[in-house]
Amino acid sequence: MNAVLNLSSGPHARDKWTTSFIMHVVLASLLPTAVIGVIVNGWHALFIILASIVAAIGTEWIWCAALKKPNSVKDGSAAVTGMMLALSLSPTVPLYIPIIGSVFAILVVKLCFGGIGKNFVNPALAARCFLLISFGRVMTQFPLVDGISSATPTADLMAGRAVNITAMFLGNTNGVIGSSILGLLVGGLILWGLDIIHGEICFSVLGGFTLFMGLFGGQGFDPKFLIANLCGGGVVMGAFYMATDYTTSPVSRLGQLTYGCLIGVLGAMFRIFTEAADSFSYSIIIANLFTPLIDMYVIPKPYAYRKNAIRRANGEARLPLWQRIPKPVIALTLITLLAGLALSGVYTMTKDTIEEQKRAANAASYRVVVPDAETFETTAEIDAAIEALGEDVYGSKFGRAFINEGIVAKNAAGEICGYVVSVTTADGYEGNITLSLGIAPDGTLNGIAFTELNETPGMGMRAADPEFKDQFNNRLVTQFVHNKGGASGDNTIDAISGASTTSGAVVNAVNAGLDFFHSVMQGGN
Amino acid sequence: MNSTFRGGVHPKGHKELSREMPLRVFDPKGDLVFPLAQHIGKPAKAIVKKGDPVLAGQRIAEADGFVSANIICSCSGKVKAVEKRRTIAGLMQECIVVENDGQFTAIEGFGTREDISGITKEEILRRVADAGIIGLGGAGFPTHVKLAPKNPDAIRYLIANGAECEPYITCNDQLMRSEADTIVEGIEITLKLFPNAEGVIAIEDNKPEAIAAMEKAAAGHDRIRVLPLYTKYPQGGERSLIKVIAGVDFPITKLPADVGCIVDNVGTLYAIARAVEYREPLFCHVLTVTGEAVASPCNLIVRDGTSFAELVEAAGGIKEGVTPKKVISGGPMMGIAVSTLDVPITKTTNAVTVLGEDIVEKAQAQATSCLHCGRCTTVCPSGLMPQMMQDAILAGDLERYETKLYGLDCVACGSCTYICPAKRPLTQMFKQTKAEIMARKRAAAAGGKK
Repeated sequence: MNAVLNLSSGPHARDKWTTSFIMHVVLASLLPTAVIGVIVNGWHALFIILASIVAAIGTEWIWCAALKKPNSVKDGSAAVTGMMLALSLSPTVPLYIPIIGSVFAILVVKLCFGGIGKNFVNPALAARCFLLISFGRVMTQFPLVDGISSATPTADLMAGRAVNITAMFLGNTNGVIGSSILGLLVGGLILWGLDIIHGEICFSVLGGFTLFMGLFGGQGFDPKFLIANLCGGGVVMGAFYMATDYTTSPVSRLGQLTYGCLIGVLGAMFRIFTEAADSFSYSIIIANLFTPLIDMYVIPKPYAYRKNAIRRANGEARLPLWQRIPKPVIALTLITLLAGLALSGVYTMTKDTIEEQKRAANAASYRVVVPDAETFETTAEIDAAIEALGEDVYGSKFGRAFINEGIVAKNAAGEICGYVVSVTTADGYEGNITLSLGIAPDGTLNGIAFTELNETPGMGMRAADPEFKDQFNNRLVTQFVHNKGGASGDNTIDAISGASTTSGAVVNAVNAGLDFFHSVMQGGN
Repeated sequence: MNSTFRGGVHPKGHKELSREMPLRVFDPKGDLVFPLAQHIGKPAKAIVKKGDPVLAGQRIAEADGFVSANIICSCSGKVKAVEKRRTIAGLMQECIVVENDGQFTAIEGFGTREDISGITKEEILRRVADAGIIGLGGAGFPTHVKLAPKNPDAIRYLIANGAECEPYITCNDQLMRSEADTIVEGIEITLKLFPNAEGVIAIEDNKPEAIAAMEKAAAGHDRIRVLPLYTKYPQGGERSLIKVIAGVDFPITKLPADVGCIVDNVGTLYAIARAVEYREPLFCHVLTVTGEAVASPCNLIVRDGTSFAELVEAAGGIKEGVTPKKVISGGPMMGIAVSTLDVPITKTTNAVTVLGEDIVEKAQAQATSCLHCGRCTTVCPSGLMPQMMQDAILAGDLERYETKLYGLDCVACGSCTYICPAKRPLTQMFKQTKAEIMARKRAAAAGGKK
């Protein structure tokens, strides 16, 4: 036998599973979600998914070719990143969004930090957050239903509106492409069953979220409320796919539980106390950043060095259960509970004050728009009309506008001297805009006043400048037209340059208010 | 499900290649080579010189100190040389080379049965030591040392290790099937040393015939029972067995005897019975020649010192059309790859595995960076964190490796390397680092003395 024998240090056997195999299984497990996403949202969703995956793979391939590195595309992780990014995008985004996102994810977050296994945050999530910050408008625009873009179920939930859980479960709602809870659960549970993702992470995320939501969400452990919250806002996708990313999650079991609970609690906290519907992404990114710290300090002892093993080896009895729970777990639980209690306490205490201040601000704004009024009243008809609107968007051509209040203003002599309509639009660049319209008895618009305006300083915030706002003053028109070109007419409002989203939303809100006035208040008077 | 330990892996067994092949004696034709260091402890001292005539069963090297073992010649003939020869480890080591006359004439009194009913503990230990018996499970710890713990009365379990969890190897399976009574005798003899101990024969449940044979042989022996175990690697590791049977985890700094256990391979117990009752010193043992590249895998009773080449021939040689890629002394998990077939087997060699395909080569092509997937931590039977240990080594932080991560507690079972999807050489790094840390400690201790 003259063959040259191979030498290597043992073991000489290896398991069949490779990195590439695992990545392809993850990719395959996302297929049900992707298929449902395409069925619900149409072909454009498929193009988004393809664009994202191709861009991710292409970026890695070019990087490897340019730097003469071994081609790492075949490990499949780039495709998984592309797929996960696509599934967390709105099905209406233009194709440049997934492409920019994938390039960012692969090039900046993954390759610049050393490639697979070296990134410090989840590439797909980081790219999603990057896109949210850079292209907020298109990223948060969800499909048009009956011609208007409507709120996602999560936004509805956060605003306290009712949602359809069955539709959310199937993914037949407004939301990202991968919003089918059914598909995500099927894929996620398969991965868990194959031991590809750690149950410690996904179930502690879901558990931490549910517990915190139940304790401090204001509706107790109402199953419907909890399930609706779990089904929305990427919680399931986050728990099964984003949080379980190997590289950015802790290695030890205890570390994974800590990390999962952190995500769940942060996610619930953001959901309850903030207004960002995308908060779950941020909570995972924050927990990613804690992973090195957790791995540094949470190191389980080998079996032989654990308290009970030492007792056992010495022939002593086992410790009772409560003494076996690691101290950090108890400490963390207590800290979380205290923080939650403090936050919800402050929230509850200040909620009324904030409401009161809002009301005072509203009243003040009413006085601004109907200066000679003495008292403000509502009528049964107006209230009934607002009641009838429920929590739905007003009308079909004003975007996401909601009518808050309709007020009849009277002067000192008790005569009607004007009307006020308070309108909120959810189409602002940075969230809600609320404004009050003051309308003279003949229908002339006295002017508008903002009670809630959080737009970009120097851009959208210029809506409050007289230059823009005063355009509405003393004009008698039924509907205004948002004018970006500069041509003028009786009913045109010049846009704020560089903030057409904001000015458009304001014009829509004003039009909604006027429409409500004409159809309900003036008519009913 | 039968009892088992935490962690572990399920490598493909490949035992079907040879498991039904009954044991047969193989007599070598060529020279026999006996390395002086085949056990843990000090190498033995040669007591023959070139030209001396020797017989099978004759002592040719003597234990040097307490933790050492005699070496017994396995054939008759003439000492050809005492010189450096290549051994399994790949090193040139001092060996006694015996020219085999092909007669295999044994020493006087070899194989005559004695009545040992009134034998003393000291006599048992003396006969075991004289016979040159060492742990045949692989580590090669001198058995007379192992059987003489500080407090023999505190031993609760004598564990007869018939788990045979290494893939490919089937010789102990066959030994248990055909020599069950002798193994039980060996256990009975050993139990005489430990008045408070129970004999437990531990066998993985993939060997139902061996379990049945041992159960039959153990019937009527009050102090001996058979325990079927769930089939999982490294079930046959000393620590895994103790975890299952005594329920104890213990640090690497302690010996099994410290937690009331003595673990001996069934082959060792068989050798003890032959040595004590029949005055047969240890120079034969069972061995499997197997692997996809040999023509007819088989289980043999072989003589120490036989060359790998002769054993491969005994198994019908290399299969036609197959180029052997790797030859392993032992199984693929903990065995040692040899560079040439021109090396001798020692007392602890339990298999010659000839592979036609080297999976390690393929694995190297599939290697990626560590994903931090944590598979290694779930399979580690000691509850270590291989992933973190690897990071500590790469960062050069041996302090963290040793004190925070308990890296020295690694038993080098290879489970982490086996399971790693990124194909990282984890066990290999740990073995090397452990050697480095131990070397530094020795250097520091030596420096301190000066």
